[in-house]
Amino acid sequence: MTPRTIVEGSALHRRVQGANWSLWIITIAILPFLVAIPLKPSVFGNSYTIGLGNVNEAIAWAVAVLGLNLLTGFNGQLSLGNSFFVGTGAYLTGGLVQTYHWSYLSTLVVVIPVCLAIGLIVGVPALRIQGLYLALVTFGLAAVFPTIVKLDQLDRFTHGSNGLNIESKLLPADWMPIQGTLEAIRKIPLIGDWTGTDTFSSRQNEAIYAYFLLVMIAAASFLLARNLIKSRPGRALIAIRDNEIGAEVSGINLSLYKAGAFGASALLSGVAGTMLAIDKNFVSPDELGINFAIFLVVGLIVGGSANLKGSLIGGFAVIFVRQWATQTKEVPLIGWELNGPYGQMVLGILLIALMFAMPGGIAYGLTKIRSRIYRVVPADHRGEAPTG
Amino acid sequence: MFLLAVSVDTDPELLLARVLDGLRFGSGYGALALALVMIYKATGVLNFAQGELALLGIYIAWALSVGWGWPIIIAVILAMFATATLAAGIERTIIRPFDPSNHLPLVIVTLGLFLAINSFVAVTWTTDLKALPSMFPKGNVFAVGVAHLTWSGLGMFITVLVMLGAVTLLLNRTKVGLAFRAVSSNIESAELVGIKVGQTLQFGWALAAAIGTLAGALLVPELQVLDPNVMLSTLVFAFAGAALGGLDSPKGAVIGGILVGLIRNVVVQSVSFIPSELSVGAAVFVILLVLLVKPSGLFGSSKVVRV
Amino acid sequence: MSEALLHVSDLEAAYGDVKVLHGIDFTVNVGDISVVLGANGAGKTTTLRAICGQVHTSGSIAFNGAEISQEATADIVRRGIAHVPQGRGTFPELTVTDNLEAGAFVRKDPEINADIDKWFEVFPVLGERPDQLAGSLSGGEQQMLAVARAMMSRPRLLLLDEPSLGLAPIIIEDLFGRLAAINADEGMTMLIVEQNANLALAVASHAYVLEAGTIAISGEPEVLSGDEAVRRAYLGY
Ligand SMILES: Nc1ncnc2c1ncn2[C@@H]1O[C@H](COP(=O)(O)OP(=O)(O)OP(=O)(O)O)[C@@H](O)[C@H]1O
Ligand SMILES: [Mg+2]
Repeated sequence: MTPRTIVEGSALHRRVQGANWSLWIITIAILPFLVAIPLKPSVFGNSYTIGLGNVNEAIAWAVAVLGLNLLTGFNGQLSLGNSFFVGTGAYLTGGLVQTYHWSYLSTLVVVIPVCLAIGLIVGVPALRIQGLYLALVTFGLAAVFPTIVKLDQLDRFTHGSNGLNIESKLLPADWMPIQGTLEAIRKIPLIGDWTGTDTFSSRQNEAIYAYFLLVMIAAASFLLARNLIKSRPGRALIAIRDNEIGAEVSGINLSLYKAGAFGASALLSGVAGTMLAIDKNFVSPDELGINFAIFLVVGLIVGGSANLKGSLIGGFAVIFVRQWATQTKEVPLIGWELNGPYGQMVLGILLIALMFAMPGGIAYGLTKIRSRIYRVVPADHRGEAPTG
Repeated sequence: MFLLAVSVDTDPELLLARVLDGLRFGSGYGALALALVMIYKATGVLNFAQGELALLGIYIAWALSVGWGWPIIIAVILAMFATATLAAGIERTIIRPFDPSNHLPLVIVTLGLFLAINSFVAVTWTTDLKALPSMFPKGNVFAVGVAHLTWSGLGMFITVLVMLGAVTLLLNRTKVGLAFRAVSSNIESAELVGIKVGQTLQFGWALAAAIGTLAGALLVPELQVLDPNVMLSTLVFAFAGAALGGLDSPKGAVIGGILVGLIRNVVVQSVSFIPSELSVGAAVFVILLVLLVKPSGLFGSSKVVRV
Repeated sequence: MSEALLHVSDLEAAYGDVKVLHGIDFTVNVGDISVVLGANGAGKTTTLRAICGQVHTSGSIAFNGAEISQEATADIVRRGIAHVPQGRGTFPELTVTDNLEAGAFVRKDPEINADIDKWFEVFPVLGERPDQLAGSLSGGEQQMLAVARAMMSRPRLLLLDEPSLGLAPIIIEDLFGRLAAINADEGMTMLIVEQNANLALAVASHAYVLEAGTIAISGEPEVLSGDEAVRRAYLGY
């Protein structure tokens, strides 16, 4: 099947784009209502639970993966320690909200400059340390984070290895039309049935509010990242990744941009940490160690390195694939039972299989599939484009 | 004000005790780092699964020795063969199909292996604490007050040096070693002189797995616990050792590992203002300083590494 | 009189979807020096890589009577083909001596060390620095090393991809003199890809011009030198 050619800027192209965007917006608007009461689909004898908490966590992860993408995907500095920045953001938010009774969002005022500063500081030695050496040093950073949190001296702020429970809740204001929207969605045929018939509890309302808050923060982060990548500095970052010496001799200030990439990456990672604190009302040191760092890299590569959509996909993939792996209790079709800590095994095998299928990541895989269906060509090729 | 609080423990016996501890654990880190460096040299890839392959080997050795009552040394040797065979199989089936010059997917594959093997061990042998017997006799070679050099400490140190010597001889004096070095230098040219690149890398994986298993079998009895998480922290220190010594230098790996052991046990314990919980942090910090001066480690070659 | 050592027919090669060679035929006879000329991107390197099994091909490649087009590179080398790739392809992290030893990887006979000494005599610049890392040799020295390394496998056919690349004119002349000597002394058959057409044609017994993946002209070097188009495109007069 030959792909259909769509000329960029044509009416058809605009319609396709419009349809894409509308689909996105509708999905984003309806999604939380569909999963606020956790779905329990059953596939091949396995039952899974998907709730809004997972979605919210995935949104935070998407921003964390985005942060890593700026540094590793676009600038080529492999970091295995971005969990350090995420953890810093999460703990700053947690501590300020719990100990000093700030509101969640206002903590960003502290999180953003602090993480930016830490990123820049880490970025300076990274100018000299390159490649896998950098990866290993940053991996050390990831390993250090939990031990710092657990220090006695910080216990008042972090509550040590028990983790920090944030008691303050995010309450939606009265004017927010959560219940109204729910009823409107219930009127939609088919989809509406999924949302059940009960009114939402206050916990579900909170989760929905958190969801929209997180979506907005994430949208702002992705927009920022996109503008950065398309700007002059963004092209400089990519040029450094592709050919450091070449970039340097064409007048790009390596130190400035490489440290800057670390700063921007740490900033977004810190914001992701705040988002995680908003979602879970709980931060714990052992969740923010090397496992977190490793799964960030997994999200980056599985989603698609140097690809913004890839970060979104990667964040969701990490959360949902992990979820799927731990909840699968029986091998489909064969019927082997998986009782015990099989989740990681399933996950590991899946990761390997995914790399076989799409070594460039899911985002590139999807683009390839899409290009079989239709292909957008620039307007000045109009003469060559077959009509219809 | 902070500086005033610094005091360094200088009790010589205590210091000696810490140095001996550092050497003991450092030997174990160095041995695992040696395995990492073998794979890195050949493929340019950091093998995150190295520690877990060793973990599997340790459990096999445990099953053979504690379960079946075989002598521990035999059990460890068999476990080394078992993991080497497995690693060769892994290389053939799930590593070789990948484009060797594109490292990121390969890193994810080793992470996948890491998860899968770890989970396999936990499922097969449960997560209950176990104990692996040491290959060395109990007791001390000598003891001075709190400082004592155990037979196992001495044994580990010597074993690691012998391992390094054997690897060095293999690399520099044998045909397989020449093939290995040629492949790590230039894959295309290696093919053009008739080297079977796939088989050479397979050999590297097998050898690294055997080395790693031995490293684990040395270290775990000293840690006195065996559970499925035991190799993870060890892997972090081994990574640190490899980076410190230079990622492509076998000698550097061993020396780097030992230095990391010494940093952990001597520097952190002796300097009062470093909280002992921050031993990982101190090790990372020292490595950072070393790399700032020598960006490719103490003994690494300064070939530009692209990831 | 002359028997064919390498016979290529209807050879096609592609990188992914992009076809680079569109069915080429040629023969290299025992003891000959054959030269392939052609513009940048014509597919010269691809032709040599195809012979060594480094790209996917269709068509037939017969070496010494055996069909090798589907064999693995390592096996093709064992049959007696040595390849000095474009850009030299030495082992930069290995010493000069180790490079030569690696070149003899496929051999099992006890004369390897004697051969190393022999090539040290042929290329004294190498003999003077046996323990230097190949990566730190000068361009010309590396090219000598690449040729010597290829010869260490005692091949029956030597493929050379732009041996003059990046070398000073005087070094190039020296190199081609040595190649001609190796051809004369050892009867070594060679297939040389070159941009420096004057020098190459001077040592060649047969020449081909490759254009956009097909053989445009072939014949005796004198015939090519006489051809108006070849003269203008490759010889510069
Ligand atoms: N690995 C590759 N992937 C895709 N295309 C390639 C690859 N290698 C070569 N090509 C393309 O194949 C064509 C022929 O390349 P080749 O290297 O054979 O040219 P050449 O005749 O040796 O040129 P030169 O004189 O510049 O060395 C070129 O158009 C080149 O872009
Ligand atoms: Mg070429």
